[in-house]
Amino acid sequence: MPDVFNSIKKNAKEMTLSGTKSKIPENKIPEKVGELKSLIGSSEVHKLPGHSHNPLASFSLLPDKVSFVNEDPQEKVILLMRKHPITNLGWISIAFLLIIAPFFLAVFTPLELLPSDYQFVLTLVWYLITSAFILEEFLSWFFHVNIITDERIIEVDFANLVYREITDANIDQIQDVTVEVGGTLRTFLHFGNVVIQTASEIPKIEFEAVPNPDNVAKILRELRIEEEQEKHEGRVR
Amino acid sequence: MDIIADIEFSVLLLIKVATLLFLIFYLVFAGVVIKQTKIMTETIQVGFENSIKALAFIHFIFAFIVLFLAVIVL
Repeated sequence: MPDVFNSIKKNAKEMTLSGTKSKIPENKIPEKVGELKSLIGSSEVHKLPGHSHNPLASFSLLPDKVSFVNEDPQEKVILLMRKHPITNLGWISIAFLLIIAPFFLAVFTPLELLPSDYQFVLTLVWYLITSAFILEEFLSWFFHVNIITDERIIEVDFANLVYREITDANIDQIQDVTVEVGGTLRTFLHFGNVVIQTASEIPKIEFEAVPNPDNVAKILRELRIEEEQEKHEGRVR
Repeated sequence: MDIIADIEFSVLLLIKVATLLFLIFYLVFAGVVIKQTKIMTETIQVGFENSIKALAFIHFIFAFIVLFLAVIVL
């Protein structure tokens, strides 16, 4: 079976850190989740491909500062994902049009007939609405995150500023994982949906438009195997 | 001429009242954004919380300044 984790760089060399041999080869995600988890807290985690210090990153393996509500103290965050940044292109284009619109609308609308004071305030109101639009779209993207921990999967969804939804399912409740990558842009930029069928009350959790969906599915599969092993050995938390 | 002046006055008054009402509601909305941002940052922390809160606060200040200007200018 081809190893999707090796796809980043074929001829990886083992790196050395402080004179000792590193646990991970350069530019290579460890095959086993156990190896991945053993890197938590070590400095080697910063060399992992997919690990990011950017708080706006849409794919961060073993993120440093991530914590969430109802987190188990022993729980370890394996992966944090958001929608691919390119999915923001739609609202950014609209925002750009909204920003430049007053320069053109003044010519075509009866705004010119109003006194200059009124024109000034109405233009400010326009930019106020534009700022609200930008803020809401950005926050919706930023806070719509998918988290994979060593115990469960979590989807935090802020559909708008007054609605939030947090869905989670234990790893051992995962029944089926489907990767959907369709369309030219998604194929070219390598992002897509990961649909997870679960045996919990919420039968389906969908990670929408996440980067590297194959790697996500692979990590989920490894976690399921590890969870089953823990069950057999009676090490379930 | 008086009728035209009256109509112009009415239209401007209508725009003024509508704008001020809108901006008052908008200020409330900006307050809700601050509150919601606080809830969001408590729900998930990724090390960008202060910037997000600052963004929401700047938005509220902007809304307040526009309302203040509208009251003075209109």
